[in-house]
Amino acid sequence: MLKRHIPLFLVLVIVALALLLPSLLPWGYDQIDWDAVRAPAVSGSHIFGTDEIGRDRLARLAAGTRVTLMVAIAAALVSLLVGIAWGATAGWIGGRVDEAMMRIVDGLYALPFMFIVILLMVVFGRSILLVFVGIGLVEWLTMARVIRGQVMALKQRPFILAAEAAGTPSITIMLRHILPNVAGVALAYLMLTVPQVVMVESFLSFLGLGVQEPLTSLGILVKEGADDMDMTPLGLLLPGGLLVLILVCLTIEGERLRDRFS
Amino acid sequence: MLSLITRRLLTAIPTLLVIILASFFLMRLAPGGPFDGERPLDPATQAALQQVYGLDRPLWEQAWLYISRLVQGDFGPSLVYRDFTVSELIAQGLPISLTLGGLAILLALMTGVTAGLLAAVRAGKAADKAIMMLATVATALPTFVTGPALALLFGLWLGLLPVSGTGNGVAWLIMPVVALALPVSGAIAKLTRAGLASVLKQDHIRTARARGVPETRILFRHGLRPALVPVASYLGPAAAGLLTGAVVVETVFGLPGLGRYFVQGALNRDYPLVLGVVTLYAALIILFNLFADLIYGWLDPRMREG
Repeated sequence: MLKRHIPLFLVLVIVALALLLPSLLPWGYDQIDWDAVRAPAVSGSHIFGTDEIGRDRLARLAAGTRVTLMVAIAAALVSLLVGIAWGATAGWIGGRVDEAMMRIVDGLYALPFMFIVILLMVVFGRSILLVFVGIGLVEWLTMARVIRGQVMALKQRPFILAAEAAGTPSITIMLRHILPNVAGVALAYLMLTVPQVVMVESFLSFLGLGVQEPLTSLGILVKEGADDMDMTPLGLLLPGGLLVLILVCLTIEGERLRDRFS
Repeated sequence: MLSLITRRLLTAIPTLLVIILASFFLMRLAPGGPFDGERPLDPATQAALQQVYGLDRPLWEQAWLYISRLVQGDFGPSLVYRDFTVSELIAQGLPISLTLGGLAILLALMTGVTAGLLAAVRAGKAADKAIMMLATVATALPTFVTGPALALLFGLWLGLLPVSGTGNGVAWLIMPVVALALPVSGAIAKLTRAGLASVLKQDHIRTARARGVPETRILFRHGLRPALVPVASYLGPAAAGLLTGAVVVETVFGLPGLGRYFVQGALNRDYPLVLGVVTLYAALIILFNLFADLIYGWLDPRMREG
């Protein structure tokens, strides 16, 4: 039991560290220590050393993780809301409406969506709000498909038919009977959306189109580390490793949840 | 099958049109223009440049002009790389991006299907669990982490492979292709494993076993083909993912492919260049989806559309 949930445990530890470390460390994430530029690991008060302009690596790592996870959760929630609304409507109404709505989803699936998001980022500046919305808009498609399937299956079940026969308004059936029943599956896919979103956010930040300085994120840290890897490989390996660890843990837990509900 | 192809190609036209128009107007909403350099140009020069490229006309007229030229295969001039047309830039970049993407999908298919097959044969055993664990890790490896990490290990530390550029025979292709292929191969391995596991439980497989058909023949003749159906339906999204991944890989390894032109063009407000690349990407993805659907129909005749 305990061994099975190592990934979840690791994620919780990372989240706790990202929340707590910034207030515990003597250095801020954008604070420059002029006496220790490019300090090696375990030197003085810098556990992981400092980067090429003397900022504490650990503090930046914690701050970056916090931003990355925040963006991820917010964008995943956007995708959850849009996906549930779209999928449940299509599944509930059925017929032509369903067909049209799902055709749109199929069509969007096939698009180079990432490029439209990149365009959005370039066009409207790089506000963090837009990062949420942009990513959320890309990632809702799978959610919509899954929820639609669930709703269609539920619609045939006796308790829904009974509610309909009793004259319960559609909106009440939806909120009282359908949504609670799709919540488990939605949660599983939410959990699988989070790593997707983390990847998109880091991708955008890596290209310099996501979160902007002085804020930092894991994508920006990977980019900085990659630019400076011939001098200090640690700058790439730390944020890169952490990012991969988060992605792997979330994917494992998400898939486990999904398999349980389907 | 021919009717499917024509139908899909016909529906592709409005899709492409919507993408082109959406990108066109999105681009134009952006503040700044292609001629904002370090030093501001004097207004007369600015106006003259605008006029030459037709940027002073009403937007809808420009959109109409763009599309009517595009239909004739003219992507227009690049506004930033002054001596080049967009077609010339695309002709330079496309072969590199296509080589990267094509090799990556081949590598991913070969490794992914093999790994999935091995796991399914050993279902429930330690080898199965190990392979599936590796596949999960592989799907979670973003190109922008594996790219630099590979460059660090094989380029800087071991000095085996070139870190950037396209020189040295084909050695420059190895790291970018591997970085691109890893997440896709993980996903393909999982799909193959899941597909085979469910196919191998079916009646016709049991019949074949009862008749004493050798296990390898069962696997390859009867099992693999239907098991690959989910893999085929994943190829469309995979192609879209590879194209975005190529943007990163081209940036990391300094390769002059299309992805770099796209990002540079968007940042420099090089309207025709960005539009040209988006149009091309959209067309490629649509084509690849059609191709995937044909494979799909070949693998499972029940899925063939009327």
